[in-house]
Amino acid sequence: MNPEHLSPFGRNLLDRRGFMRNTAFSLGGLGLAQLLGAEAEDDPLNFTGKTPIRPEIDPDNPYVRRPSHFEAQAKKVLVIYCPGAVSHVDTFDYKPDLYKFHGQKPPGIPAVTFEGPTGNIAKPFWDFKPRGECGKMISDLLPNLGSHADEFCFIHSLHTQTSAHPQGENFMNTGFTMEGFPSFGAWVTYALGSENQDLPAFVAINDPRGLARSGKNNFGNGFLPAAFQGTDFNAKNPPANLRRPKGYSAADDRATAEYLKRLNGKHLDRYPGDADLAARIASYELAGQMQVSVPDMMDLSGEPESIHKEYGTDTGTELKREYAKNCILARKLLEKGVRVVQLFNGSDPAGGNGITNWDSHSKISETHAMQAEIMDQPTAALIHDMKRRGMLDDTLVVWATEFGRMPFLQGNGTGRDHNPDAFTCFLAGAGVKKGYSYGTSDRFGAKAEKDPTSVYDFNATILHLLGLDHERLSYYHNGLERRLTNVHGHVISDVLA
Amino acid sequence: MAKFPIFGKNCVRIGLGGSISMMERSYHSLLLACCLVSPAIGEKVDFEKEIKPIFEERCIKCHGPDKQKSELRLDQRAVMLRGGDSGLPAIVPSDPKKSFLIEVISDEDSDMAMPPKGDPLNSAQIALISKWIEEGAEWPGQMNAVVEEEGTDHWSFQPVVRPEVPEGTINPVDGFLNKALKEAELTPNKMASPRELIRRVSIVLTGLPPTAEEVSDFEKASAQNSQRAYEALVDRLLASPHFGERWAQHWLDVIRWAETNGSESNLYRKGAWIYRDYVVRAFNNDVPYDQFVTEQLAGDQLGVGEATGFLVAGPHVPAATVGREPTAIRQARADRMDEIMQTVGASMLGVTVSCARCHNHKFDPISIQDYYSLTAVFQGVEFGGRYPEFSEDHPRRKKAQELYPRLNSERNILRKELGFWEENWGGYSDLVFPRTKTTALRVEFDWPKVFIDELEVFGPQDHRKNLALASEGATLVEDPELITEGSKVWKANDGEYGTMGWKGLAPKGGKKKPWVEINFKEAQEVNRFRFSSNREYYFETDYLTSGPNGKFPTFRILAKQEDGSWQELGGSMKARNVLKKNGVARTASQSLHKHIESLAEEGPRHSFIGRFKKPGVTKVFHRGSPESARDEVPPASFKILDGDLGLDSNTPDSKRRMAFAKWLVDLKNPLTSRVMVNRIWHHLFGSGIVPTGSDFGLAGAPPSNPELLDWMASEFVKEKWSMKSMIRLLVMSDAFKRSSLPGSRGMEKDAGSTLLWRYPPQRVEAEVIRDSILQASGKLDRSIGGRSYRIHNVKKTYAQWEVTDNHGADTWRRLLYQERMRRVDDRIFTAFDFPDCGQVRAKRPVSTTPLQALNLLNSDFVVEQSELIAERAAKEAGGDAGKAIQRAFELVLGRQPGVDELKAGLEISKSNSLAIVCRSLINSNEFAYLP
Repeated sequence: MNPEHLSPFGRNLLDRRGFMRNTAFSLGGLGLAQLLGAEAEDDPLNFTGKTPIRPEIDPDNPYVRRPSHFEAQAKKVLVIYCPGAVSHVDTFDYKPDLYKFHGQKPPGIPAVTFEGPTGNIAKPFWDFKPRGECGKMISDLLPNLGSHADEFCFIHSLHTQTSAHPQGENFMNTGFTMEGFPSFGAWVTYALGSENQDLPAFVAINDPRGLARSGKNNFGNGFLPAAFQGTDFNAKNPPANLRRPKGYSAADDRATAEYLKRLNGKHLDRYPGDADLAARIASYELAGQMQVSVPDMMDLSGEPESIHKEYGTDTGTELKREYAKNCILARKLLEKGVRVVQLFNGSDPAGGNGITNWDSHSKISETHAMQAEIMDQPTAALIHDMKRRGMLDDTLVVWATEFGRMPFLQGNGTGRDHNPDAFTCFLAGAGVKKGYSYGTSDRFGAKAEKDPTSVYDFNATILHLLGLDHERLSYYHNGLERRLTNVHGHVISDVLA
Repeated sequence: MAKFPIFGKNCVRIGLGGSISMMERSYHSLLLACCLVSPAIGEKVDFEKEIKPIFEERCIKCHGPDKQKSELRLDQRAVMLRGGDSGLPAIVPSDPKKSFLIEVISDEDSDMAMPPKGDPLNSAQIALISKWIEEGAEWPGQMNAVVEEEGTDHWSFQPVVRPEVPEGTINPVDGFLNKALKEAELTPNKMASPRELIRRVSIVLTGLPPTAEEVSDFEKASAQNSQRAYEALVDRLLASPHFGERWAQHWLDVIRWAETNGSESNLYRKGAWIYRDYVVRAFNNDVPYDQFVTEQLAGDQLGVGEATGFLVAGPHVPAATVGREPTAIRQARADRMDEIMQTVGASMLGVTVSCARCHNHKFDPISIQDYYSLTAVFQGVEFGGRYPEFSEDHPRRKKAQELYPRLNSERNILRKELGFWEENWGGYSDLVFPRTKTTALRVEFDWPKVFIDELEVFGPQDHRKNLALASEGATLVEDPELITEGSKVWKANDGEYGTMGWKGLAPKGGKKKPWVEINFKEAQEVNRFRFSSNREYYFETDYLTSGPNGKFPTFRILAKQEDGSWQELGGSMKARNVLKKNGVARTASQSLHKHIESLAEEGPRHSFIGRFKKPGVTKVFHRGSPESARDEVPPASFKILDGDLGLDSNTPDSKRRMAFAKWLVDLKNPLTSRVMVNRIWHHLFGSGIVPTGSDFGLAGAPPSNPELLDWMASEFVKEKWSMKSMIRLLVMSDAFKRSSLPGSRGMEKDAGSTLLWRYPPQRVEAEVIRDSILQASGKLDRSIGGRSYRIHNVKKTYAQWEVTDNHGADTWRRLLYQERMRRVDDRIFTAFDFPDCGQVRAKRPVSTTPLQALNLLNSDFVVEQSELIAERAAKEAGGDAGKAIQRAFELVLGRQPGVDELKAGLEISKSNSLAIVCRSLINSNEFAYLP
């Protein structure tokens, strides 16, 4: 509870017992005694020998800051998500053998992959160069990001369970390929609340072109309470219903608020001690604050010219400019203490193959180039800007995509098909090694080879970096203590700084 | 609430035929075993000397007396025969290949490799163990040991026993509750006021608050005789058609029913809503619960085909988006089966069946064999649509019987006026022509490009028998000059609809147009030609920009004469031209098409309610992977609950589902009645006696009042599974009628109101908020059932659904009828914990968020409705500002304003507007809570 944001109602009428009841009620109906009192020995739900650590959700303010499981450097997290599957062999995973075998079909290449018959090995469509002091080989497709190689910690040995985008997105972002599970951001918000009570705890900054293929799954609350879903807005479009209705004046809003206060006050008099009533009153006050603070975040006019230039809000294609603005928005939100910002670079493929995201089944040289033009400069500027401001000291940056692409071409000879067996993501910022690469794929980048890393491991590591034990952060749903990592996952200790 | 009871899982008891006192043996034989390169042929392996030391050195630490990881121990032969959580026997005497132990110790790569730490067993050790198994796995002293599966002592698997009703109350429910209250030394609250009571019971039973007039009538009647007035009220509400709407919503939540697939393109499931209407109707007609269950599992055999929409309520990944890899295709099918398991398990069984998909259930006595046996019951079900089977008295059948004569009378006019005419049925197009006896028909298209998945010809004798089918001996011939690669004309009469069909392609600019000849086996009397380009697509989905648009190419149809010449019978272009000139025929054609439309909306229609196919053999998927299919299992239910249905892999699909339904509603089944009465209780009191309504297993919560639960379960069956009777009994109880006001003693001892010393106040759901607003403005369209109202765009196949209009007059129906799109935010009410329909939802969580406040303050819907309520209040107050405020209070809150509320409201209505007052009322806590 954050008393300065509460009216006298909120302050005076929360009683501890009511709070306990609400907590129990909101957590799927289990009694509080069960929720708080269970020991490892008598917790029949426990899979791992570790008891769940269930955050105390204050019904008055579900976003209040909550302690992490253990001390961690990262307090906030920025996820840059690239739907469509970025080709690791054309970006961050340098494979000299692809040049050697270019145009050939060595044994071992499957006859059929996701989209159909396969073609020959193809060398990277962009040349690789050593970048930064660490000399990491990164291709010319992403020169700006490449110049910050010394900040990044690459994981080259990722593999996933599916070669279909929606299931892949679900898996990366919710830990399950199936529908209906809480997103990563929802889990973190559920665990940690927020540092800022005037803004949503979890913001999903969607691509100007729309939502990614799994839509709201990527930032939804699944079976967690709706309080923990990502609030969906970007630099162009505010959250739904944030603005005062057309034709209404400030005086109308004031009158509504005053009259509402009168009605609710009278009602509360009849129900002293019912915390959820007070909580609902408080939520209206928070809504009022959001109406001021969110537009303030979206307004980029206060940013100096140099920042606009660095991010690239006024050069390049319209899509790139919009994305660049989203990047500035992401920085501003994180600066203000928003817990999770998920920034999307791509949407569903409704606009046609390769035009709306990284999916590149044909003409990868064009489609990847087009996506890279949008992502490279603004993303690099964002990370650089965060570093300059010292934000990387307490913010974890995750750059992710759902799977990789094949080292060989498709039957059409111009595109690369989905590769679920090897792909690359990177981490940066708080708690992560710098200029480091973990794990490898095989000589062609076809399969994870050294230190294979599952999506469970990846998510377990991100939670760990935020001070959360992925085996203990759980929520009872229909018979199971559900976790982001299901019953799997190992923290990759090698990437920890 | 009590803590979890601690149960011994499965209660395995080992009965020992011999002594087990061989624990203290020296390890000297280990050395011996390691030195052996291979066991000498002809010499039997000595367990004590050669095998046991290996087990003790490498296995017993985790699988022995101290720990039993995966429920397996290697110091007991009987347990090894049974196997651990994997469901596979660790040893099968004389069959090392089938022995899981050999598999895991030979495995070097996977995470199943045993032992997990240290060096793997060497090949000599593996050979030795293998030989020992080969020789019968002899184990001195334990050869007669068996694992006695004693069953379970978990409460929910025990038979329902009807307890004695405690004395002293009229309603038995109160007897049980008062006993608990007395033990806790709690005095129950007084009765709620009539105004509170009618609001509470109306919302709980129908989802709609009472109108102002109903409130005042009830207050008057209560003053006369409160008991009689309340009984009359309850009976009126139970008889209301809105009762079924309210209770259908609860059921749909549990099974996460929605009208889209989820997954990649989240496509719309055409006609899925007829299942929703079935549920509403079933509740309204008080269909007994055992019948309700049976119909949803096997309605195709009971004349309520649409009820099987239940089976395909969950999300699924359509085959087209899985990719081409066979492993992915098999995985997707296994995932679809699991969705069915979740639906059946959560709603009817109250058991988390899916937990046994990869290994034996961790908490409940359900094995992996049980899981796959249960999938065998549903192996004939596939996600998709079909024409539902309807009994004679089914409302949709009756509608068809009403419409067909009208349809035929229009046809008679067309026959008389034209002789031949077109009928556009959406998915396919018919050309009807004068009856002709011929050996062949020839179709000459006017368009240079035609795509046809199926051509059909019918005669006057049997309008369902397709005479053009290859299986009827008919053959197709196309223009030999136009044969295109990959196009096969025979696919147009193979009886299969879909994308794979015949392409008739004529060169651009030329005069040539495609044609096809249909040669019958012998001369047939024919009068109707039917064709389609992708009938399946038309039937399965909707609201796509690129979907089938009901436009069909025009053509002429000719019949072969005895002399081999062709005579024209009619043509679609000609038919259209004649309609332009002939007014009578035009009107007839228009009415005919209107009737066709009505038939599709209200009559029998192809709908997304599942389709059935011949089930294949079902095998256990080791660790849940379709790539490791193991032993065959028969269709059956849980072993622990006598789930043997006496079926095998040859049993047809329909029989499997029916047999399972019979097992489910058998009076011996302890779960079915308990789970449903608990659900009913939950929806009346806000939380179940078992709070985890879809998990009655060990991981669920125990019942807060087990006697009451069992009494209700037994009463439910006694009253012939009548849901309305059970609901009536509960709402007539004192417990339901109590005031919800907090008392200090009650709050101190039982703040959660578990013991029901007061009626627990609850937030109303999204549906109640929206429906109540519409009722207040007088704009609520109360019609029951039918196609869902649309709030989303017509989209491209791979695009997302976007809200286009969630507030206009077309949406003024109950929220139950809003198109229920999986994981799509409706931009207002989703924020109120409306489920995303991805996972089963026995109970909606209750959140309080600023987004809810913003939606309820600023959405177009609320702003418009505030204006409409204000307009109505002002009008009904006859221009008096004070009366208008009073009327607004009545309309929204069902009460009069207090003096201060009236005064302040008047000020606002003067300085701002009456609509602002209404907007505040809609946002008030009083409006959002059940009194």
